Amino acid sequence: MNLRLTFTIVITKLLVFILRFLRRGGTTLPGKVACKIYPGIIKNISKDLKIIMVTGTNGKTTTTRIIGQILKENNIDYITNKSGANLVSGIITTFIDSVNISGISKHQTALIEVDEAAFNVITDHIQPHVLVVTNFFRDQLDRYGELYSTLKSVKSGIEKSPDAKLVLNADDSLCASLSKNHSGDVLFYGYSENAYEGDEDLFNSDATFCIYCKNKYEYKNRVYSHLGGFECTSCGFKRPDSDVTCLNVEELNSSYSKIELSINDSNNSYKAKINLPGLYNTYNALAAVSCGHALNLPSDSLINALETFECGFGRMETIETDNKTIKLILVKNPTGFNQVLNFLLTENKQTQIAFIINDKLADGTDISWLWDVDFEKLIDIQETVSNFYTSGIRGEDMAVRLKYAGLYSSKIQITKDYEELVQKGLSNTLEGHSFYILPTYTAMLDIRSFLKKKYNLKEFWK
Amino acid sequence: MYELNICHLYPDILNLYGDRGNIIALEKRCSWRGIDVTISNISIGDIFDAEQHDIIFIGGGQDYEQEILQNDLLIEKGSEVKNAINSEKVFLTICGGFQLLGNYYTTWDKKEIELLGALNIWTIGSKERMIGNFVFECDFLMDENCDGKIVGFENHSGKTYLGDGVKPLGKIIKGFGNNGEDKTEGAIYKNVYCSYSHGSLLPKNPTLADHLISIALRQKYKDFVALQSLNDGFESKAHNSMIKRII
Ligand SMILES: [Zn+2]
Repeated sequence: MNLRLTFTIVITKLLVFILRFLRRGGTTLPGKVACKIYPGIIKNISKDLKIIMVTGTNGKTTTTRIIGQILKENNIDYITNKSGANLVSGIITTFIDSVNISGISKHQTALIEVDEAAFNVITDHIQPHVLVVTNFFRDQLDRYGELYSTLKSVKSGIEKSPDAKLVLNADDSLCASLSKNHSGDVLFYGYSENAYEGDEDLFNSDATFCIYCKNKYEYKNRVYSHLGGFECTSCGFKRPDSDVTCLNVEELNSSYSKIELSINDSNNSYKAKINLPGLYNTYNALAAVSCGHALNLPSDSLINALETFECGFGRMETIETDNKTIKLILVKNPTGFNQVLNFLLTENKQTQIAFIINDKLADGTDISWLWDVDFEKLIDIQETVSNFYTSGIRGEDMAVRLKYAGLYSSKIQITKDYEELVQKGLSNTLEGHSFYILPTYTAMLDIRSFLKKKYNLKEFWK
Repeated sequence: MYELNICHLYPDILNLYGDRGNIIALEKRCSWRGIDVTISNISIGDIFDAEQHDIIFIGGGQDYEQEILQNDLLIEKGSEVKNAINSEKVFLTICGGFQLLGNYYTTWDKKEIELLGALNIWTIGSKERMIGNFVFECDFLMDENCDGKIVGFENHSGKTYLGDGVKPLGKIIKGFGNNGEDKTEGAIYKNVYCSYSHGSLLPKNPTLADHLISIALRQKYKDFVALQSLNDGFESKAHNSMIKRII
């Protein structure tokens, strides 16, 4: 028996227990403490686990949850971290929490969501067997520096994991570039050329120029933002062939999407219903299916998981009250926000929309990115939206943004108090209709805990 | 009816942190007053003819992307940009766009990059970034209705210094500004206005937006007197809430 190991595990578990008892939900402190006492602890207790990691700027949580569903469908027991605990200390806590005091785990698989800026650090401790990368979009720049340094840091984490099976987004030139010089297997997922043609504003693009030679990319097709069939005619870097491919988008609506996809280029195609709205979630689904394929799981189980999957933390949660529905959708950067707006455009019933914008550290302290979001497209539905409420620390800035997007000023209301916001929003919502609330990260935490108290809900989210 | 032609230089490259908010603000504040606006996006390889434009906007970019346009700006468009500045065209340049107009940029590891030299300013890279909400005060905006205060968000590692002939845009009240040392923020030279405040500089500071529109109209139309006032309720709330929060 390794006394130091046991000692560290006991201390950590005790800390987790105390923090839970105090309802601090502390997921990072125990990991920090454990690392101090025994820096090599993670390597030691994870040596028998098959480790799947998911990173990237957008869609990590959803992708991780769908992979979780895939593992469940295949009766694979796994440990996983909570979505708020995707930094190094949170991940370490997750591992220690799952073993007994001798450091033995009863699970064989770990499914870990890793913050894109933490991936390089966590790979100093452990390396993934399968690494899924979702995409690279601008996100919280003032915290992490520039997009290319995020990419570089993920790349250097991959260099420490030469045997990892990479699952990469073929349509994202930044993400696809991670396969260069990798000695392990690589699997790509993406959209075929004719599957879908997006109409995004090209100016709002994160990767216009070739990462290798700075020549401007040409696109055969664009799905959204910089995702699509890119090609650099100067050095030849182009969208790689994909192993898991969306062949056709059959339906996009406000509660689910239907796509047709092929797995491993077989002539077999599958029709899949993804139990999530929004084009961006089809990419998360493709990433998860590719991960399942990389694990050699049967294709039918992958398709099933898409349909049985239920929404996770904050991505889209619904609360039913008095025959009305409150829908909560997290917004955090221009690309994600634009996708949420596209989704709102599919709503054809009379509705209310609230934007709650905070600028705390976890939201990004700079809210200039709101000017990169195409709120102008809401003009198309402003007749069916009775009110646009703005709230949060930066509710006033959000009101300015909506005004300059060309929406009727008379429909824009700054309502900072949550009680008043929810009361107004719901009383103006007709029976059978929806009240949409779009908060940034910390605003999501606040509004949920408010709604939880107000409706006396037990954990309606997990 | 008045018309203004706004040129967005390198919109596909210098487009960081919502800089297009400034273009949107100029456009809307004109159109709400019945002034016709045309926006031209001019990028690498496009011909830039200063005579076609009344207001020229240059935003900020990531370091990686700025190298791409160095050649185009210095060699292809450089002399025309200088002509435009000398013929008193209105410019608004932000962050990277501000630095590019200067004499040179010295990186923190002492590499000197030659820049356009249209303004007598220079920038020295530092390892720390100057990040956060900030407030500065502009003399030229002060009158009985306006205290001249501008709110914005800065995020830069370059420290910019102003040489002879160039005035600061404003005096720092809270934050770093040009270099974190001399309390200056931004620059004014002829009708060139430069700032480190990116994103929603003009939407949240409508007096500055209107100031730029006014000088452009005055340049173009002899009979122009003043802009009609607008209802700036939301703008003032956003502006004042930040002032209250940080000073
Ligand atoms: Zn290339």
